Amino acid sequence: MFEQALRYAARGLAQRKLRSWLTMLGIFIGIAAVVALVSLSQGLKVAIEEQFSKIGADKIFIQPKGTFGGFESNAGQLTLSDKDRLKRVQGVNEVTTYIIKAGLISLDDENVPVYIAGIPEDHDERDLVIEIGTWEIERGKWFAAGERSKVVVGNDFARTELLSRQLRVGDAVTINGREFEVSGVLKRIGDPSTDGGVFINEQALRDLFKMNDEETSFLGVRVEKGADLALVQERLRRELRKAHNVEEGQEDFEVQSPEELLATFNTIFGIIQAVLIGIASISLLVGGIGIMNTMYTAVLERTQEIGVMKAVGARNRDVLLLFLIESGLLGMAGGAIGIAIGMMLSKGVELVASQAFGSPLIRAFFPFSLIFGALLFAFVVGVASGVLPAYQAARLPPVEALRYE
Amino acid sequence: MMRFYTSLAVTTLKKRKLRSWLTMLGIFIGIAAIVSLISLGQGLKTAIGAQFAALGTDRIIVQAKTLSFGPPGQGAVATLTKADVNEVEKVSGVDRVATRLIKSAKVDFNEHTQFTFVGSMPKESDGRKLIEEMFRLRTVEGRLLQQGDQRKMVVGNAYLDDAKFGRALQSGDKVKVNGEVFEVVGVLAKLGQPQFDNIILLPEDAMRNLYDLPEEVSAIVVQSEAGQDPEVVGDRIKRELRKFRDVEENREDFTVQTSGQLLETLGTVLDIVTAVLAGIAAISLLVGGVGITNTMYTSVLERTSEIGVMKSIGAKNKDVFFIFLIESGLLGVAGGIIGILIGIGLSKTVEFIAGQALGTGLVQATFPWYLLVGALVFSFVVGSAAGTFPAMQASRLNPVDALRGA
Repeated sequence: MFEQALRYAARGLAQRKLRSWLTMLGIFIGIAAVVALVSLSQGLKVAIEEQFSKIGADKIFIQPKGTFGGFESNAGQLTLSDKDRLKRVQGVNEVTTYIIKAGLISLDDENVPVYIAGIPEDHDERDLVIEIGTWEIERGKWFAAGERSKVVVGNDFARTELLSRQLRVGDAVTINGREFEVSGVLKRIGDPSTDGGVFINEQALRDLFKMNDEETSFLGVRVEKGADLALVQERLRRELRKAHNVEEGQEDFEVQSPEELLATFNTIFGIIQAVLIGIASISLLVGGIGIMNTMYTAVLERTQEIGVMKAVGARNRDVLLLFLIESGLLGMAGGAIGIAIGMMLSKGVELVASQAFGSPLIRAFFPFSLIFGALLFAFVVGVASGVLPAYQAARLPPVEALRYE
Repeated sequence: MMRFYTSLAVTTLKKRKLRSWLTMLGIFIGIAAIVSLISLGQGLKTAIGAQFAALGTDRIIVQAKTLSFGPPGQGAVATLTKADVNEVEKVSGVDRVATRLIKSAKVDFNEHTQFTFVGSMPKESDGRKLIEEMFRLRTVEGRLLQQGDQRKMVVGNAYLDDAKFGRALQSGDKVKVNGEVFEVVGVLAKLGQPQFDNIILLPEDAMRNLYDLPEEVSAIVVQSEAGQDPEVVGDRIKRELRKFRDVEENREDFTVQTSGQLLETLGTVLDIVTAVLAGIAAISLLVGGVGITNTMYTSVLERTSEIGVMKSIGAKNKDVFFIFLIESGLLGVAGGIIGILIGIGLSKTVEFIAGQALGTGLVQATFPWYLLVGALVFSFVVGSAAGTFPAMQASRLNPVDALRGA
């Protein structure tokens, strides 16, 4: 019975080819827009999550509270004695300083502002800070512990993005007035503060900015294998409260795990995504109205046919089902084509983005749930828009329907 | 002739009421979305422009260049100092100059701790007036900072909220800023933007002592002389500071912005956001247009024999073409009018809700005539464009076949 109804609906659609195509066009434009937007934003989300997972689930960041809005804070300044104290906390494997300053890099007669990060001399701390930064060498190598006039540069400097001349290993550049030799170039990770940053020996950075030997911008912590992250976080907080002599609830520092940072990001991102998709789905609503219109027309055109069906014994339910299947098919077929177009669209954007900007962050991502969800949604839109026309068809009195001209 | 076509089109549209309504529904959803998005975007832009105009367009702000990304709080490349202020004061066309120091601070009161911005108020009355005028500082309680104030502070309107320190701040309260005690002498009137309403103002000298920053300057605020073009004065300041700081053109480690330029930048950003949102909303209009095409093809099909009759009694291809084109254009325009009305209603509602819930006058719907006319013309164009192919098909029908109802 169902199969028969399906075949009847498909034939109905095939007979009115142009109209069916135009109706589906409405659906597939909408579905394509939604699919492209979702896949690109999901791709961005996955790319960023991957970067966070590279940092590792065993890391904790500590930063002074209130470093916000582009103004420096001296509240909750973290120090090297904080670092030494935290190293002794149970469950902590290693603690590193993480210093970042804004400076100027000069080459030939160009100056550009740049973030300068300090790499600690201690071997273990250095490994940890590189792990947290997810910095990987593409060419050349990291400078050795004592090398204070070497620099590793972000990937933007190996292109002509920031300076008009590409930097190569062995080149000399001036940073805040001091000359450094390029010892390595990092892989591109898509985060502008890394790709456009430079990395020098921590002591060299302290000298360059005349920092005292105590202060650090941030602290990075690696917990011991098997240790409970949340528990260690709590212990770190308690220890720092003691060190900074502040009470609970009045901390002048923040202890955060990558997951927490990611959660904040995801919230903001989710809102933007919802707004864009919401506006894009207006077109799906309009497409649904198109289906409704087509179905009303179909009911009108087939009034006599419905009369005949009823005269030979079709029940209201059968007629209803026939038309519902037809509109559902319209929705689903439109959805399938829309998904295909949407996928091509976002793949195209990905290609253009990687060619033009070299950004690894923009990429299309098609989770099963997206494709299946879009298809299901298109079907639901189709069926929902068909309900009223199908209901009208089902309730036609057979005699009048037969007489209809 | 045109009138005849139009009344013919209206009659046929009326005959197929349900279908015409559904077709128009598609158009008016799209138009309503676009009209409300653009009117709110433009309204926001106008409101911000009005705020800027109140600040005065003769203001120039000099700041150290900052990196716009990466960890916050580390942005300034090379800070400005009092020596730069002296240079700026000497530039011709400069009327008044005020220095500002803005930092974040830990603030303790009533066993609560908050982290917020503190800003300095210049000790010279000229500079202080300039800042007061620029941000339209008024107090709802107490007074503003005066010459000779040392350990006093004025707090933003947000501190009237109990949530900050467990109770509202008032004059006479002793508040700790970075560990040192200051006395509240006034509470500012609401300024509307969180970053201003959360600010704490301290006398410049006291703040410099507190942070041990005798020379650093976060921003230099300049008022150009009456009758001088602020842009020209801004360029002069830029040139002098370049010389003073020994940097080449386009390699400045500082920025000089006039209020006009700031407004322009802000306007551009808003325009882009509005365009992206309206662009996505326009997709639905495209879908609505496809709906018109579909309705018109159906209409041509249904009226095949009618077209045959028209042609056999002398209608030319052109006549048939126009009858159908006008019909689809009408569908578009009618949908457009209703859409504009709904759009206006929508954005007025948003304006009302935003005004009630956020208490901000920033969200304001404006309906410039070009938006309304543009939306109407656009919906007509969509309608006629959508009808072109069906109308062409109708006009090319062979009269004999058409009469036979093929």
